[in-house]
Amino acid sequence: MHQYPTAKHPLNIAIAGYGLLGRLLAWRLLLLGHSVTVYDKGRSGSNTSAAYSAAGMLAPISEAAASHPSIYRAGTEAINTWANWCSELGLSHAIQQQGSLIVAHPQDRAELTQFYRDSQRIAAENTSMTLTMLNRQQVSELEPDLSNQLDQGLWINPEAHLDNRALLAGLDQWLQRTDVTIWYDSEVSVSPKQITDLNSGRHFQHDWVIDCRGAGARFDQPTLRGVRGETLHLETREVTLQRPVRLMHPRYQLYIVPKPNHRFVIGATQLESEDLSPISLQSNLELSSAVYTLAPAFAEARILEAGVNLRPAYANNLPHVSANEGLISANGLFRHGYLLAPLVVAQTLSILHGQNNLACEQLISQPHSEQATHEV
Amino acid sequence: MSNQTLTDPLTLYGKTFNSRFLLGTALYESPEIMLDSVATSQTEILTLGLRRQNPAQGDGERFWQMIQSTGCTLLPNTAGCKSAKEAINLALMSRELFATNWVKLEVIGDDYNLQPDPFQLLEAAQELIAQDFCVLPYCTDDLILCQRLREAGCQVLMPWGAPIGTGRGLLNRYALKALRQRFDCPLIIDAGLGAPSQACDAMELGFDGVLLNTAVAKAQDPALMAASFRSAISAGRDAYRAGLMQKRQTAHPSTPTIGQPFWHQNS
Repeated sequence: MHQYPTAKHPLNIAIAGYGLLGRLLAWRLLLLGHSVTVYDKGRSGSNTSAAYSAAGMLAPISEAAASHPSIYRAGTEAINTWANWCSELGLSHAIQQQGSLIVAHPQDRAELTQFYRDSQRIAAENTSMTLTMLNRQQVSELEPDLSNQLDQGLWINPEAHLDNRALLAGLDQWLQRTDVTIWYDSEVSVSPKQITDLNSGRHFQHDWVIDCRGAGARFDQPTLRGVRGETLHLETREVTLQRPVRLMHPRYQLYIVPKPNHRFVIGATQLESEDLSPISLQSNLELSSAVYTLAPAFAEARILEAGVNLRPAYANNLPHVSANEGLISANGLFRHGYLLAPLVVAQTLSILHGQNNLACEQLISQPHSEQATHEV
Repeated sequence: MSNQTLTDPLTLYGKTFNSRFLLGTALYESPEIMLDSVATSQTEILTLGLRRQNPAQGDGERFWQMIQSTGCTLLPNTAGCKSAKEAINLALMSRELFATNWVKLEVIGDDYNLQPDPFQLLEAAQELIAQDFCVLPYCTDDLILCQRLREAGCQVLMPWGAPIGTGRGLLNRYALKALRQRFDCPLIIDAGLGAPSQACDAMELGFDGVLLNTAVAKAQDPALMAASFRSAISAGRDAYRAGLMQKRQTAHPSTPTIGQPFWHQNS
C-alpha cells in the first residue's frame, strides 16, 4: 500500500460535479489529508455522467492518430497511472493491457493504410510503440470470433481498456468509507471560494472550489460545448474478445470494447449536438451493422442499454485546467476522459499545491477563449 | 468582403466573391483546426450540415456560432438526405436557422458511393426554387440532368469530380468538358478532389470554383493544405484566363534558330 504525505495545511475543498474527475479528485485529495465536499446535480446512484456511458478505452495510439499527436505520450503515462490506481483500489482486474486490434473491410483497406501511416509518424518519435500488420490467419489467431472476411488487421500496443463501471463503483465504495460529504440533487454555480446552491440560493464557503462539471458547466463557460455521443451496450455468450476492436470505415469509426460478464460496449457516434434525447434509429443502425459485420454472431446479442451523453469540449478538443485564487476549472476532456484524466488530476493537484507542472501545461493548452481570468 | 474592385469576381445568385474556393466544415479534428483552415483557405463561402441535429432545441448552436464567427457566407447543405421530401424539410429548417435562402442541395441515391439521386434532386430543386431558394445543386456530370436543373431555375451547377471523399480527381473529363462547353452559368466542381493539382486541373478546364472538405480536413496539416488548395485554385484560374497553349505533335524550339550561325543549327 502506498504511503501519502499528509498535507501540512489541510484545505477545505469543494468539488462541483461527481463524474470521473470529481471522484478521482475527491479520492486523491482525501488521501492527502484535505477535507472534501462534493456537489452534484444528479440523484444518488443515477449514473448520468459521461464516465458511466463511456467505453473506458485507454487508446493513446488510436487517439493520437485521430487527433493530437501529443496525446500519445500523456496517454501511455496514463496507462501506467491507471494500473497503479487500480491496484491501490484493489481492482487490478479492472484494467486489461492487451493492445487493440484495428480492422477494415477489404473494400475500405485505404482507411487502414491511412491509419497505419498516421500512426507510423507518431511511432517514429516513440520507440515504446509497436504496430504489427496481421494477415487473415493472424487476425483469427488473435481474435478467433471475428468474421473471417477480415483479411488484414493492425495490432497496436500499448493500448488498454478499463472496466470503467467497476472502477466508478470501487471509487464510490472507497469514498463511502471516508467522511466526505456528497450533496446530490444540487445544481450549483461556482465562484472563487464559494459554491451557490441554485435551488436554495444558499452559499457555501471553501478554501478552494474545483469545477469539474463536464458539459454541465457549459452554461457558465461560453467556449465549452457538448458533443453528443451514443453507445450500445450488448450482452452475448456467443462472442469473446480479448481486446478492443476498432473498425476503420470511410464515414464511421466504431469500436467494440469487451466488458466482464459477456458484455460489450459499442461506440460511439460523434455529433456536434447538445441534444440528450434517446439514440436515433440511424445511429443504432450504424452501430449495430458495424458490430454485426465484424462478428456475425453478435446478431443474437441482447441490447441492454443505448447510452446517450455529452462529451465536454473546448474549441481545440483538448482538456484545459485553469485557475485563479480559490477556483479551478478542470474540463474539456472530450472523448479522452479516461485517457487524459490522470494528467488533468495531476495538473489540478499541482495548482492546489502551488507547483508548476510543465509537462501538463504543454498538452493542456489554452483554448480559443476569453478565459483570461482563469489562466493557469 | 473588401471594398477593392474585384478583377475577376465569382458571381453566384447576384452575390460576388473574390475567392473561388468553397470549403466544408465537417471532419476536422477540432473546431479550432477548422477555423485555422478557413483562415488560410481565404474562402468566403462555407458549407455546413445539420442533418443529424435537433435544431428545434437550439441544438449544435455553439458549433455553428464558431462557423458564423468567420464572417463567411453560409451555405447550409442537405447532406445525408435520401429523398426530395427530406431535403426540402431540411432546407426549410436551415433557412429559418441561418437566415439564408441559399442551399447546397444534396440528395444521396446510394449509400456506398454517395452518388446523387438525379430524379429526387430535380424534384427537390423545382420545389425549393418555387419557394424562393437559391439552389446550388450537387449533381453528377450528366448533361441532361444539368439541363433540367438549369430549366428548373438553378443559376449554378455543382457537378462531382468523383464520389465524395474518394480523392480521385476528375474521373470523367469528357463529360465535364462537355458541361463547360454547353453552359455559361457558374460551374463548381463539388466533391472527389484529393490533391491541389486536381483542383488546379478543374480550374484550367474553365470551371468557376471548387468545393471540397475531406482533402483539407483529413490532411496531416489541414491549415497548410487549405493554403495549398487556395494557391492551386488561383493558379488554375489564372491559367484558364491567360489561355493555355494547344498541345502539338512535334517539338518547337522555344529559342528561334533563325539568325544563329549555321554551325550551331545542327548541334
